[in-house]
Amino acid sequence: MEALSCGERRLGSEEEYAAPAVGVSLCDSAPLVWRMQDLRAVRAEGLVGALLGSLPRTPRQNGRLGRPLLLLPEEEGLLRERRAAAALPDRCQQDWGGAELRQKHEEEEKRSFEEQSVLALEDRKLALLRAMTGAESGATSADEALRRRLQALDQNFTFPQSAMAVQLSTARAGLSYCPEARAFLQAYGPPGAEPRCDARYQVFRDLRGRGFYLTSAGKFGGDFLVYPGDPLRFHAHFIAVCVSLDESVCLLDVLAVARLGSNVKKTVLLCSPGPDARVCYTSLQWSGMI
Amino acid sequence: MGFSANGKQCLLPEEALYLMECGNLQVFHQDLPLSIQDGYEKFLSANTVSLQQYQVFGHLKRLGYVVLRFDPSSESSSYARQLNLPQSRDRAGRQLKRKRSLSPAPSSTPTMEEDKCSEGEEDIKLPEPPEAQSSADEGGGRSWWMMDVLGDSDKDSGHGSKSGSSCWDFSSISFPDLGSTSREHFPSDLAPPDPSLLPGDLKVGFCDIAPWRQKINLRQVKMSANEQKREKYRRRWDVNKNREVRRCRNWAEYQELMARRKGKREGRPAHLWNREVTPLHDPTQPIKQSHRSLVSLTIKDDLVLCPLRLKDADDWRICFNVYQPNTVADFKKSNPGKPYSRMCVCSFDDPVPDLRAIKLLAYQSGDIPVVIAVVDYGDISFYTFKDFQLPTDVYP
Repeated sequence: MEALSCGERRLGSEEEYAAPAVGVSLCDSAPLVWRMQDLRAVRAEGLVGALLGSLPRTPRQNGRLGRPLLLLPEEEGLLRERRAAAALPDRCQQDWGGAELRQKHEEEEKRSFEEQSVLALEDRKLALLRAMTGAESGATSADEALRRRLQALDQNFTFPQSAMAVQLSTARAGLSYCPEARAFLQAYGPPGAEPRCDARYQVFRDLRGRGFYLTSAGKFGGDFLVYPGDPLRFHAHFIAVCVSLDESVCLLDVLAVARLGSNVKKTVLLCSPGPDARVCYTSLQWSGMI
Repeated sequence: MGFSANGKQCLLPEEALYLMECGNLQVFHQDLPLSIQDGYEKFLSANTVSLQQYQVFGHLKRLGYVVLRFDPSSESSSYARQLNLPQSRDRAGRQLKRKRSLSPAPSSTPTMEEDKCSEGEEDIKLPEPPEAQSSADEGGGRSWWMMDVLGDSDKDSGHGSKSGSSCWDFSSISFPDLGSTSREHFPSDLAPPDPSLLPGDLKVGFCDIAPWRQKINLRQVKMSANEQKREKYRRRWDVNKNREVRRCRNWAEYQELMARRKGKREGRPAHLWNREVTPLHDPTQPIKQSHRSLVSLTIKDDLVLCPLRLKDADDWRICFNVYQPNTVADFKKSNPGKPYSRMCVCSFDDPVPDLRAIKLLAYQSGDIPVVIAVVDYGDISFYTFKDFQLPTDVYP
C-alpha cells in the first residue's frame, strides 16, 4: 500500500531497483492516466493533473469528474525526468480478439453471472421473509408455509441472463490478462535526457521542488495556479505568469494582470528563469495609494 | 442521438463514447467489449472528434443540451436568406422515418424473398392485390423494392440517374383488368398468389371475378367524332414520357414542377414573387427609367467575407450545433429547428481569434450566436462576441 500523504518525495529512486512506473497512454497526443494505482502514484509525486471523464456513480453532472487524468505537459516532463513514467502499449499491438482474451472474458462473465444469481436468490428470500412475517397469521402455520415457500424458491429460482448487470471497465482491463503488466513497466526516455529548456517547465520544476502544487491557470490569465498544499485542501495563493528575463513587457499587460489578480484575491507572480537554473520571482500586489 | 443509415441505427463516435461513460451502452469489437480507455483511444482522433471537442461535447450533454454536429452545407448563403428563398431540406431528413430492423441484402432472389416476408414494419405500400401470377413477376416487383431501398441509402445520386429502375416495370407486373370488355383479356377467376408471399399458414384459394364485374359499369361511352379524334391524340401524348416528370417521386414534386414551368413560361417564378421581398424588376414589363442603372448591376458575394478566399478557414471551424432540450424548446430529429448556439472549440494555447476569424464564423453561422469554448486541461470557459450598436443621437 503506497503512502498517500501528499508532498512526500519518492525516496526509492536512489535504490537499485526502479520503482514501478506510472503508465501513461496517449489519446489524440494528450497524455492520459487510466489505472487507479497510477493515479495514486501521480498524486503521491505531488502532481495534480485534471480529471476529464464522467464519474461512474453519477455520470450526468459536471461538478466532480472521473478518470482519465490528463497531465500537463510539464507534469509529464517531470515524470519523464524522474524516470517515473512509462508509455503503455497500445491495444493494437496486442492480440485483440485473440482466443485467449475472449476466453478470459467469457470466464469473467460466467463467474459474474454465478455470483449475481446467488445474490439475487438471497435477495428474493429476504423479500419473501419480509412479506411473510409482515402478514399477521398464526405462528405455526406461518412457519410451515414459509418453509415450504423457501424450499420452492430454492428449487425453482432461475436468474435470467438478460437481468445480469454488466460491468464496463474504465481502464483497459486486458492488462490484467497480459503477462507484461505483472512485471514493472520500463520507464521511457533515454538515460540522461536533457531537461526541457522551456521557461514554463523550469518554473514548474522549481516551484514543485519548493513543495507547491501547480495546476493550469488559463481562465485566470496566467500560466499556473500555485497552491501551498494539496488543491483539495487549499485555495490558490498565486497566479504564476512566466516571462523570460530579456523580454520586455508592456506596462498595460502588467496592469491588466495585476488588476485580474486583485479581483480574484490572488498574488501575481512574475517568474523568470535565470541563466544558472535559478528562477527569479516578482510578486505583484495591489496596494492602495498612500 | 444517432441516425439511420442503410436501414440500421448508427451512433456517431462521440455519442457512443458519451453513452459508454454514462453506463448505458456497451460496444463490442470482435466479440470483446471495449473499455472506456479503448473507446477514448479508438473514437477520438484529430480526424474525427478531437479530445478537446469531446470534452466540450460531454460537458454540454451532461448539462442537458442536445448537441449535434455542424454541417456547413446545410446552411443557406446570406443572399439566399435575404431573398427568403425556401431552404432546401436535405433528402436524408425525409428518410429518417423509415426504420428497418433487417437491412435487405441484394444478394440473390431467394434470400430477398425471405427478407420481404419477415420484415413486418414497412411503410411502403405493396401493390394492392399481390395477385401477380408468376414468380418472375414477383421478382420484377421486388426488384423495384430493392432499388428503392438502395436508392434511399444512396443519397447523393438522386433518383434521376436511376429513373428507369426505380419505377415500376409495368410490362412485367400484370394487373388484372377487371373492367376490360374484351373477353380474352381476363380469366374467369384469378389464381391464388404465391404461398411464399403470404404470412404464416394463410391459404388463399381462387378468386371468382364475376361478382366484381357485376359491380362495374361496363357500358361503352358514346363519343362524337370530335371527341374521338381528341381522345386519339390524347392517348398518343403521354405526360409520363417526359424526363422531368419521371424524376418526380410524388404528387407534391409534380405540382412543384408544374408551378416552376408556369413561372418560367410567364417570366415570374413563384419563389421570387410570392414573398415579402420581390425583385426590383419584372422581366415582363419594360424597364423603368429610374431602375435602368440598377438593373445592370450584378450581384456578387461580399469578397471580404467569402469563406473560400480566406486562407485560414481551417483554423476556425464551427463544430457543434447546440439545441435546448425538448422540455424547453421543440426539438425533433426530423425537424430540429433553430439551434440555441453554435460551438467552436479551441484552447488557451491557440491565438485569440482576430476580427476576420470572428466575421467568418458569424458568416457561416447566420443569425445564431457563435460561442467559443476554450478548453484548459479540464476546465472549459465559454466566450461569445455580441454585436453591438452604438447609440445614436436623435436630433429633434
